Amino acid sequence: MNKGYLAIVLHGHLPFVRHPEHENFLEEDWLYEAITETYIPLIVVFENLVKDRVDFRLTMTLSPTLISMLTDGLLQERYLKHINRLIELAHKEVDRTRWQPEFNILANFYLGRFYQARNTFEKYHCNLINAFKLFQDLGKLEIITCGATHGYFPLMDVVKPSVRAQVKVAVSHYEKNFGRRPKGIWLPECGYNPGDDEILKESGIKYFFTDAHGLLHGTPRPKYGVFAPAYCKSGVACFARDLESSKQVWSSIEGYPGDYLYREFYRDIGFDLDFDYIKPYIHPDGIRISTGMKYFRISGRDDKLPYNPHLAQEKAAEHAGNFMFNRQKQVEYLYDLMGKKPIIISPYDAELYGHWWYEGPMWLDFLMRKVHFDQKTISMITPSEYLGDNPRNQVVTPSMSSWGWKGYSEMWLQGSNDWVYRHLHEASERMTELARQHSQNGSNGVMTRALNQALRELLLAQSSDWAFILGTGTHTEYAVKRTKEHLVRFTNLYEQVKANAIDEQWLADIEYKDNIFADIDYRVHQ
Amino acid sequence: MVLLRKIKERIKKIIPKSKEKKAKPATTAKPKKRVFGKAAVSKQKDAVLLGTQEVAVGKTKFSTPAPTKETRLIMEELPVSYGKDKIALQIRDTHWLHTYWEVTGQTFERLKHQLGIAFNGARMNLRVYDVSHIVFNGTNAHRFFDLDVGYANSWYVETAPGRSWCVDIGLLLASGEFIKIARSNIVYTPLDGPSSITDEEWMIPEEMFARLYGMGFGFGRTSPVGKAWQERMKQALFSGALASPGMASMASPVKKVPKQRKFWFWVNTELIVYGGTEPDAKVTVQGKEIPLRPDGTFSLRFALPDGKQVIPCKAVAADKLEEQTITPIVTRETK
Repeated sequence: MNKGYLAIVLHGHLPFVRHPEHENFLEEDWLYEAITETYIPLIVVFENLVKDRVDFRLTMTLSPTLISMLTDGLLQERYLKHINRLIELAHKEVDRTRWQPEFNILANFYLGRFYQARNTFEKYHCNLINAFKLFQDLGKLEIITCGATHGYFPLMDVVKPSVRAQVKVAVSHYEKNFGRRPKGIWLPECGYNPGDDEILKESGIKYFFTDAHGLLHGTPRPKYGVFAPAYCKSGVACFARDLESSKQVWSSIEGYPGDYLYREFYRDIGFDLDFDYIKPYIHPDGIRISTGMKYFRISGRDDKLPYNPHLAQEKAAEHAGNFMFNRQKQVEYLYDLMGKKPIIISPYDAELYGHWWYEGPMWLDFLMRKVHFDQKTISMITPSEYLGDNPRNQVVTPSMSSWGWKGYSEMWLQGSNDWVYRHLHEASERMTELARQHSQNGSNGVMTRALNQALRELLLAQSSDWAFILGTGTHTEYAVKRTKEHLVRFTNLYEQVKANAIDEQWLADIEYKDNIFADIDYRVHQ
Repeated sequence: MVLLRKIKERIKKIIPKSKEKKAKPATTAKPKKRVFGKAAVSKQKDAVLLGTQEVAVGKTKFSTPAPTKETRLIMEELPVSYGKDKIALQIRDTHWLHTYWEVTGQTFERLKHQLGIAFNGARMNLRVYDVSHIVFNGTNAHRFFDLDVGYANSWYVETAPGRSWCVDIGLLLASGEFIKIARSNIVYTPLDGPSSITDEEWMIPEEMFARLYGMGFGFGRTSPVGKAWQERMKQALFSGALASPGMASMASPVKKVPKQRKFWFWVNTELIVYGGTEPDAKVTVQGKEIPLRPDGTFSLRFALPDGKQVIPCKAVAADKLEEQTITPIVTRETK
């Protein structure tokens, strides 16, 4: 009999970046890199687990913006071009490294991986959502939703209609893509603001997540700490992160990804090789970027050693065993202490696996197998399954909190980014005004289109990613551009709607560029 | 605060005219000036705790190395004001609030007219009220304090956890009278520790809760002693004693310039082998066939490590009746 549960949660999100007006757009690379290094490797892991009859459970967020990009024809086409270019580069590298056996092996290794990426992509008809849906329908993966454009809810406290819109648009979009309603949500940045659970309830969502202190500092005190969920007064369940298991992967000192045998993220041939050689594979303007071909291991020193995939793989297996062992000990102890089976929630950014920590997906694969074959203490579970088995839980009002830097809202509310909120809030109030004024309108062609586009622009401006990038202080130009662009487009639309004089040509142009959420209904913003 | 004000003052454009402007790309020579610079970010990075490594990894999602030089759209700037008297209040964390406001020119005029001379001695004032557990009617706050905010239009206010707050923006006259211009929404700062309220039905011993609390934060199974332990741990947690220093220990300094700069330099060598023959001949280099250009020339590029490379290059005529071999030998060593 098992003594406890492990729920691993992967949060997959990228902001909506799609620039049809440009042949080649640097920031679109974020998506292509994530596809090659995270999403496809994870899908391959799932495929192999299913093939080998390993029963596993994983909860995964696919944010609406990410889903939109993965299902977009233009971006799919561009991804194929991207992976073909990488295959070409890898061929060249195999030739170039002929006299360096330690790198030649790696060049061949990458060539194989790139072919696998292309094959997998094509296997699912260039739409990876097909793959994720398949595993959800098989009962192994529970896909949950997120804010429509990953807006940060605690800083929308003064404009609740926007929180409502973020949730409703996300839920509709999810339903359209997966053929069912989502059971859970990953609040953007785990940003919980007491009362928002009422909005989740309106859309039929049963649970969400907070960071550890969200529940631990809740009122009244949670009897089981973070090791059991609690219901908000609305009846929506709150699951809190266990920092002990999180630390083992996230920590930059003691976490697995820092092991010296693992691949070094910052040594990429895009930066290391001669400019004339690498030019066709970096940005057309000559700006060096990551290609994904990295030849070195972390090594623990500046003078890096070549990467050795076999040693790295063995280390990943060792780390998976270690993680499982620690969870077993943790669960055994808690079981005795609590008198009840604990659930351990271990959430991570999906991009941590593969993109940042190259061996991450392999580690996950080993972990799932070991949990399934080598022990009986812990079982993997999804939050829905847990609630199904354990419907009776304490009622607690969680604390306002986030899993961001310092645990609250400072990351998105500091000198570099606090200026956006007066504009975002004003735009939200205006959107509510428009939605109410036009709530009785039939489908009056242009006016409805303009109103729907206004909501799109507002949602896109609300992406917390922009404030995040501004907060980090690096490469902020793009974030500023996006924030201003969407707010200015919104403002123009607002004024045109009020004046009942829509510039149709301009509207068509921005509908083409900011084409997310085709079926959006502006009336949800109230 | 001065920095904040300076940044606010730089946003100076008028409200855009909607109809004429179209979103056409234009060639602007230089990208827009980054007005909202690093500010307090780098300072605060040192006080690192929960979430730092997530920020570091999160950044790699957006790992673009430099701003693109692509053509920029003609953008109108965002308006500096919206023509309404208004003040909004938000929470930054357990102790800090953020507020922003707007006071219209008309309101200033009206007040100037009303107050006459008294207006000159007046200061823009932010009044912060503790309105916990009451229905606030403007006069029944538990306490309040004033902040002189000059020409700013936003402010960070230090308060206390677990209380409800409301702010007014207005004029504080020399006489001490406060004239409210606008009142904000009410917010509630979160607790900075476990609640003192326990649930009768779901009671647990203090000691056990302390254990679970610590475990939730990742301290394993140390043996607790109730409140004292909670205190100590809470302090350790929120003062950064357990902080991980973030990216530094994982990053390789090659492409990023770290704070304590070490002068770096590296050199690699490559070899280009090139030649030509009849376009329909077959050429092999070290036994491997290589493609020729339409004009019969070829060019190969290899990383050249230390050691000796023997490079037999053989060309065989299309009719296979003739062939030639040339073998350059290249040695590299590093002193």
